[in-house]
Amino acid sequence: MPDDDYDQFVTDRLDRLLRYATALTCDKYLAQDIVQDVLLRARQRWARIGAVDVPYLYVKRMVTNEYLSWRRRRAARDVSSTHTTLDELAPVVADPAVRHAERDAMRARIAVLPRKQRAALVLRYYEDSTDAEIAQILGCTEGTVRSHISRALQKLRINENTPSEVLR
Amino acid sequence: MTEQEALIREAIAAEADQAVDYRSVLANLHGKRSRRRPIALIAATTLTAVAAAVAVIVPLSVDRSAAPPPPIEQAAPPTGQTVLLIGLDDSANTDSVVLARFSPDGSIAAASLPRDSWVDIPGVGMGKLNSAYVQAHTAAQAEGRDGDAAGAEALVRTVEALAGVEIDHYAAVDMAGFAALGDAVGGVEVCLKAATRDEYSGVDLPAGRQTLSEDQALAFLRQRHGLMQGDLDRVVRHQAFLRGLVAKVTGEVKNDPAKLARLVGAAHAQVRTDPGWDLLEFAGRLTRNISVRTATIPVGEPIEVASGWGFPVSPDLVRSFAAGFLADWPGSTMAPPATGEPSSDEGCVN
Repeated sequence: MPDDDYDQFVTDRLDRLLRYATALTCDKYLAQDIVQDVLLRARQRWARIGAVDVPYLYVKRMVTNEYLSWRRRRAARDVSSTHTTLDELAPVVADPAVRHAERDAMRARIAVLPRKQRAALVLRYYEDSTDAEIAQILGCTEGTVRSHISRALQKLRINENTPSEVLR
Repeated sequence: MTEQEALIREAIAAEADQAVDYRSVLANLHGKRSRRRPIALIAATTLTAVAAAVAVIVPLSVDRSAAPPPPIEQAAPPTGQTVLLIGLDDSANTDSVVLARFSPDGSIAAASLPRDSWVDIPGVGMGKLNSAYVQAHTAAQAEGRDGDAAGAEALVRTVEALAGVEIDHYAAVDMAGFAALGDAVGGVEVCLKAATRDEYSGVDLPAGRQTLSEDQALAFLRQRHGLMQGDLDRVVRHQAFLRGLVAKVTGEVKNDPAKLARLVGAAHAQVRTDPGWDLLEFAGRLTRNISVRTATIPVGEPIEVASGWGFPVSPDLVRSFAAGFLADWPGSTMAPPATGEPSSDEGCVN
């Protein structure tokens, strides 16, 4: 029953796919559009996709490609402004607040990484994928995966020291 | 794992947590399949969702001072339609309920019903207007039925019984969806009379004219605590935001294909209508010479009720009000009743 199989897949994996796509795009509505589109397309071809070893990997690859080929890229979103403003107004005393601000600043830095670097980063640190899996999803060699990730890490490190107004 | 990697993990997880609720997407996917419509219509549906969004936006937002809505070139059909416009928060509370009459001549009458109105809910008994939707929604979901449709239908029956009118269709949109529509057009400008900050809604905005980001817009639309008139002030904010949105759409967005595409996408994702509504036909009603009048149904002074307090409403008064206000008067352009807004800082809200 390919239809039941597909329904089961969607029920099991939809939440995870949406979260993955949101981490990838930094835009929950774009993520929703991409995941919806991909799942509707996957349904047409489910007889074939459902037969592969790990359908989730296959669909994740579709989502990733959709994101990488998306043309009208939106300007990087100002994810940190609210908290930055709050922090300026209220003296920061508790450690969790500092951590929160650091985390949001990191989110903003990740959001402006080149797409392939961001995808590699999300796959490693969110999906806990191996280099081999990442290579398969991005359609490149493992060496390229490692270079994407090391470049991304380097950029995030450099950016740590740049003046904060760049980040706002 | 290094400190930096730990922070990256946290940051990516926080980003992933922003994902939309998968249940709504699941409902979308199921809806796309079970709908017995030809495939070709799906593209048309995307376009007509904009018409639905305009249908939600226009009647709520246009008043004496607002610019005329965008011209849409098609003749008005011969019959009028009565539509219930529903604004929801993320817990299925109906924060905004508007009964709108689209007359054959293109004029629109839009009557707001305060969510705290104390009314008879058919099959349930007396309750606040905003409990009609959420109760039916919860009950239907518990039985595995479509909660959104059940909620909207219950609210439609309640308003029909109260106002003595027949409602032809409904359109529902989440408050987050409103904010997303604003974001899709590149931000909406509003004007605040005073700086405002409130922890419940997360709002933190200065006084004066400003363009809201999506997060700010949502907080602006949600804030009820700390406002002198609570929900009644909030309704005015909804109208201000919608005016700003319409101004933006009719100003720059209609000539910007990228923004227009995003607006179409957002409207498609955010606005739900009843399945029987012929939106193509409806879009044809939004004619060149639309005139809009807005008002609020007559309510009494707040009284104590079982669940706190509410506005008492007399069905007789509401019916005679509805019969007059929503009547199809050819060429009617009656000015809306004054809302008590001062004219010195026109358009600015609390």
